[in-house]
Amino acid sequence: MSVQTERTDTAPAPVVRKTDPAPPGPAAGGPAGRRRGVPAPYLLLLPALLATVVLLGWPLVKNGLLSFQNLNPRQLILHLTEWNGVDNYTEVLGSSDFWKVVQRSVVFTAVNVALIMVLGTLVGLLLARLGKGMRLLLMLGLVLAWAMPVIAATTVYQWLFAQRFGVVNWILDALGWHAMADYNWFGSQLSTFSVITLLIVWQSVPFVAINLYAATTTIPKELYEAASLDGAGAWTGFTSVTFPFLRPFLWATTFLEVIWVFKAFPQIFAINAGGPDRLTETLPIYAFVEGPGNQHYGMGSAISFLTILILLGLTAYYLRTVLKQEEDEL
Amino acid sequence: MKRSLIGRLWPNATAAVLFVVFAFPVYWMFATALKPTGDIVTEDPVFFPTDVTFGHFAKAVDADHFWTLVGNSLTVTILAVLFALVIALLASFALARMRFRGRRGFLLTFMIAQMAPWEVMVIAIYMIVRDAEMLDSLVPLTVFYMIMVLPFTILTLRGYVAAVPKELEESAMVDGCTRGQAFVRVIFPLLAPGLMATSLFGFITAWNEFPLVLILNKGVEKQTLPLWLSSFQTTFGDDWGATMAAASLFALPILVLFVFLQRKAVSGLTTGAVKG
Amino acid sequence: MKRRLIAAIGVAGMVLTVAACGGDDGEGTGAGADGFKGQTLTVWAMDGSTPPNWTKDLTAAFEKKTGAKLKFETQKWEGIQQKITTALSESNPPDVIEVGNTQTPAYAATGGLADLSDLRKGVGKDWAENLNESAVYEGKQYAAPWYFANRVVIYNKKVWADAGIKETPKTRDEFFDALETIGKKTDAEPLYLPGQNWYFFDGLTIGQGADLVKKEGDKYVSNLGDPKVAKAMEIYKKYQSFSKAPKDKDEATPQQAEVFAKGNVGAFIGMGWEAGTAIAANKDIEKNIGYFTIPGETAGKPEGVFLGGSNFAVAAGSEKQELAKEFLNLALSDKFEGALAKENGVIPNKESLNSNLDGNEVAEAAAPAAAQGGTTPLIPEWAAVENTPNPIKTYMTAVLNGKSPAAAAKQVEAEINKRLAQQN
Repeated sequence: MSVQTERTDTAPAPVVRKTDPAPPGPAAGGPAGRRRGVPAPYLLLLPALLATVVLLGWPLVKNGLLSFQNLNPRQLILHLTEWNGVDNYTEVLGSSDFWKVVQRSVVFTAVNVALIMVLGTLVGLLLARLGKGMRLLLMLGLVLAWAMPVIAATTVYQWLFAQRFGVVNWILDALGWHAMADYNWFGSQLSTFSVITLLIVWQSVPFVAINLYAATTTIPKELYEAASLDGAGAWTGFTSVTFPFLRPFLWATTFLEVIWVFKAFPQIFAINAGGPDRLTETLPIYAFVEGPGNQHYGMGSAISFLTILILLGLTAYYLRTVLKQEEDEL
Repeated sequence: MKRSLIGRLWPNATAAVLFVVFAFPVYWMFATALKPTGDIVTEDPVFFPTDVTFGHFAKAVDADHFWTLVGNSLTVTILAVLFALVIALLASFALARMRFRGRRGFLLTFMIAQMAPWEVMVIAIYMIVRDAEMLDSLVPLTVFYMIMVLPFTILTLRGYVAAVPKELEESAMVDGCTRGQAFVRVIFPLLAPGLMATSLFGFITAWNEFPLVLILNKGVEKQTLPLWLSSFQTTFGDDWGATMAAASLFALPILVLFVFLQRKAVSGLTTGAVKG
Repeated sequence: MKRRLIAAIGVAGMVLTVAACGGDDGEGTGAGADGFKGQTLTVWAMDGSTPPNWTKDLTAAFEKKTGAKLKFETQKWEGIQQKITTALSESNPPDVIEVGNTQTPAYAATGGLADLSDLRKGVGKDWAENLNESAVYEGKQYAAPWYFANRVVIYNKKVWADAGIKETPKTRDEFFDALETIGKKTDAEPLYLPGQNWYFFDGLTIGQGADLVKKEGDKYVSNLGDPKVAKAMEIYKKYQSFSKAPKDKDEATPQQAEVFAKGNVGAFIGMGWEAGTAIAANKDIEKNIGYFTIPGETAGKPEGVFLGGSNFAVAAGSEKQELAKEFLNLALSDKFEGALAKENGVIPNKESLNSNLDGNEVAEAAAPAAAQGGTTPLIPEWAAVENTPNPIKTYMTAVLNGKSPAAAAKQVEAEINKRLAQQN
């Protein structure tokens, strides 16, 4: 299961440290590496670094260069390079559409991540309370949702929410909400976003829930015993033991979810291509539509570059905290 | 502390409801795929198909080059995940166990690499691959899928490596193993669940990838299943039976893989951590 | 580059030496030779353009004549512009490409298409001028006109009979009356018309004599605010009110012919060959399918239609220029151009071949309107407007959802102007 996210700070790792009488101190690895006089860590990191530089760094630089060019079908076909300075950026930054999209992306990310984290935590805690059979059943449901490939999932959601013969409209109608009988979910901004949010939350909650459950199983019982001696209730048990213990995990997961939700592309694009009227375009969709979609490639590159900057801005606080922690580790 | 009846009942009831909520879309996909069209396009949904047909699956598999696409998808996905695991294992070992100058820089690099918005960089990648004369090939797909999952894989594996007690490694080295031998004999087996768990993310990412293969490989012999699924959807529009059959076929390998690996991975994680 | 040059010289040599014993099938320059043996010519044709018999016969004739292989690759309209653009930039592009007439000027302007002016001396000497218009850019021939078609009404005779309607309508009002009768007397959907069948709408604007763009200084800008466009949109809205089809989708999602094939739709507005799609989906529908011209304001003058068409272009980057021309000479020869017209019911590129359409129900329904046909503006700037999401479709949905045409035009104006200004 994959939540071993930013690991030094996820739950199981602290367990190792806390229950371990021996001071974690300087790793055996460090001195050993130095002793042999070989820059072992660098050798081990070399393939990863090389891959990152070549396969990610190069496209990023290329993308950056393109963002300063006028690149349309003619230039692309004839392999022409036409620099146009910061024109693309001036145009994007000066367009009210762009800022609306930025705002929408931030709100969209915030709502989704909040829902995912709250629901994921609740479901994870529920898993911890269940008996074995029920827990396996719920796990199975969660794993099915989690494992569903996004493209298959978007197709299924379109079918669930189809205007004619869609089962969701049928259920709502059967429950007495007759106005929904032939409701077009993809006709307005809010309803389209509702479907997209439901899809993303449905797919992301299992990741949080299952990993959180796994983390709670590593909480030493003595901590609860100590707490219950003080006569603490379930809620106090949660706030005084569970939550502090899980905090690093929740923190790291939030960071990952922010990235994933902000970058969400196929979910939004396949559901309604950013429609209706481009009202559900978030930044990645906007960049795609304006760039490759509209064959205005330089512009697309400029928007995607800004997208990266905004994402960095959103996650900067977390990155800083982690780097600070790293100083104290090992 | 004995809980009241309600206290015992509500978690189970909630779990049952949640199970239905999470599993229903998947169930509905398979159910629709197996129902005859008359039971799909109907005012009152048939929740439990009694009349099962495989006609929709036949229609879905009937696409040109279907099996070529299956082969391509499998090749690209498996290779990308394998390469990512090997490279990530080396890197995560260094990051989790060693102290060296620039360590934080590496960490930061991988964390930022995780944020790359690949979908909007396709044109830059396209131009690079085009100019390298590598279009219509599975090689660029494999390496780019590899890098898409590499940062996450490194950072996650790093957690698993850190969770393996150092004493085990040290005692192995006291017994005369070199560091490499200690790694292979002691740490690697303990990491197996971690590797499986981490690979899930890679599988699902590579299996799903769509915008890049769309622009890089125009020849149908070099395309992958997501393109088939999406073209299927545009062609058959409201033929939900066939579309759901296609989606089912597409999802099935990943669902099976998850259900299978997931249990091992969970138990591996928890036991590993508790032992520590 | 060097390789291409050598290939070209080699090919030219072959043509010279072997021309004397050239074959006699097909028209045109007819340089039959084995000089192309081992080569494969790749042709991108759009979904629906290449009927099976025509494709089979043409492939056989081509392979016999040139010794080279011919490979058709069928393309989908969705995302085709991006695909063609990138393909033209590659070192190994498809050799021959079918390009829609509305998009041809844009590609001609990119420099990605080969100059085919010398075809005018042979196979192209009597191409109909009005059909060739989109293929000419700045005086040069950048594509070869292939076939043309305009939309007709495809109707379900059974549904109409059930409603007690005996004659097909001759005017727009009669058509509306008929649709109303169907709605009252049967439980069928009178017309299947989604909100974004934009080429039908384009026809209505042509019928109103409206232009979608106008020139301001040396720039083209949106003209959707024109009351004539609004009038066309009102007509569309009236038609759409007879349909339960989604207002925010086009005729391809889902394929309208597939909806029609289920037998519970009175009529739809589409290309003749879409009837084939319907029959493929449901064999039983075949006997019930009928066609008629989209009626206009008065009985004498049918509705304006968008004269859709396709040209064949040769990629400038193709290394098989000569072979590509061989293909064009054969595919556009009277034999195959005529056969295509016959098999697909499409308008051929020269008038002398129109007799192939005699007795073809679709063509007979389409022909009266073709004279009133028009296209989208034939300017390179236009193609960008049709990129997804097409702002004109946004305009249509907005009006159908209750916005006034003027307000809807205002809403999309900036986007259209931006796109008209962005290319080059």
